[in-house]
Amino acid sequence: MKRVTIDPITRLEGHGKIEIFLNDDGSVEDVYFQIPELRGFEKFVEGRPIEEVPRIVTRICGV
Amino acid sequence: MRKLRLASYWASACGGCDVAILDTNEHILDIAAVADIVFWPVAVDFKYSDVEAYDDRSIDVCLFHGAVRNSENEHLARLLRQKSEVLVAFGSCAVSGGIPALANFKRREDILNRVYRESPSTENPESVLPQPHFTAGDITLDLPDFYRRVYALDDIVPVDYYLPGCPPTPERIWEVFEVIVSGQLPPAGSTVGVADHSLCHECSRVKKEKKVKTFYRPHEIIPDRENCLLEQGLICLGPVTRGGCGARCIAANMACRGCYGPMPGIIDQGAKFISTLGSIIDEDRVEDAGAVIDRIVDPAGTFFRFSMAKSLLKGARQP
Amino acid sequence: MDVFEPKIIGFLCNWCSYAGADLAGVSRLQYPPNFRAIRLMCTGRIDPTFVFKALAEGADGVLIAGCHPGDCHYTEGNLNAARRYHLMMKVLEDFGVERGRVRLEWISAAEGPLFAKVIRDFTEIVRALGPFNQAAESGAGDTVCAS
Repeated sequence: MKRVTIDPITRLEGHGKIEIFLNDDGSVEDVYFQIPELRGFEKFVEGRPIEEVPRIVTRICGV
Repeated sequence: MRKLRLASYWASACGGCDVAILDTNEHILDIAAVADIVFWPVAVDFKYSDVEAYDDRSIDVCLFHGAVRNSENEHLARLLRQKSEVLVAFGSCAVSGGIPALANFKRREDILNRVYRESPSTENPESVLPQPHFTAGDITLDLPDFYRRVYALDDIVPVDYYLPGCPPTPERIWEVFEVIVSGQLPPAGSTVGVADHSLCHECSRVKKEKKVKTFYRPHEIIPDRENCLLEQGLICLGPVTRGGCGARCIAANMACRGCYGPMPGIIDQGAKFISTLGSIIDEDRVEDAGAVIDRIVDPAGTFFRFSMAKSLLKGARQP
Repeated sequence: MDVFEPKIIGFLCNWCSYAGADLAGVSRLQYPPNFRAIRLMCTGRIDPTFVFKALAEGADGVLIAGCHPGDCHYTEGNLNAARRYHLMMKVLEDFGVERGRVRLEWISAAEGPLFAKVIRDFTEIVRALGPFNQAAESGAGDTVCAS
């Protein structure tokens, strides 16, 4: 089985990786789209004052 | 003259630093005139395999944004260090952990549970967490290892220059480019694009005796535009923060958030700010001072907002 | 099993608590040897950075001791210390530092017995809390630490 790796995917915000698997005919058998990035904003905004949240979550994506 | 080979990479970052480079406006053309971009995921299509194929130290300048949160970030930090002559920690995340390092107050397991199991918008009936390795038949896939805490770039590899800010202002970025192009580089290890004075020095507000009776949250008062915000009771990190940003937040009537990092000579920005506030609270009885202090919501997250990865304690203990 | 012997750093003001410690010594009062004193002119000199650094670099407990309120040689240095202490303890709580590890006491130059008692009590409290070991804990297990 042939494997085509696109790492990283570019010209967008964030990290992404695509793995394409081709069968013996050369047609696509499987595709995996991976997001290798996690920061955990969902968790670390907990306990912050509410007025901080808009100023923290703007750092999810600055593009 | 040979054109510079320039790389810009984001590790655990938001892309705001990349946009700040574009915010140099027409100067971006001047940058393009003297430099070839050899790696910049947000803007051009080079792959990690291209970078791996470069000769060691063949990238003249690498601007590294973002903190180190996982093993992929660490791998890229090491790879780009190996391939670059000059490595710049660009922006608060690379310099001192930045906003992502607020996660150092939380446990790794709690972050993963919250994101993949408890979040109301997540559907995960099999309760799966990301695994570093996944096998289906003869296919194996890998994901980076999510570390227990966030690291600054220089926790991982030696860094030549530091350019703090969330993000660094375009004026400072352009000045730093001019220095790079001139070849008159400052001593390695320097913090560049900053002033050596505190933010207060470039804040144009009137400063009188610093005595604060009570602290306010932003929705509780409308501060006047003439007087020191800290004296008006807003938590302003100006006294412990480097200048160089041009006091933009202050101009918008917002207290300094500390993104330019500690003043030279300050080891720990957050700890130093405790010292600052302790000396300006205008209550002599310990109980009264305590009541004023208790009005500050989340002091740790506020004082260490951008500097957690470089604080002396690095993160909350994880029992 | 070996008994855990905590390392305790104390920041003592020159005028009251250091003299109180001195009095405890010349009075031959017994207290555990786990305590290392650092003399400063005033508790008002104590930057919370000192406490953070002590904890980060191996101390298991930190004592701050100065003149009673109203007795400060510099009038109000100890009040600065008290305000900083209150705020610092709120911050340290978020760092997962138990309240018992960092202590503020007012000990005058005449209070040698109180000094010895504070050190005895504090040593047992910190001993019961166990080693602090911050650097080893945050991030332990990350591959980055191994490299």
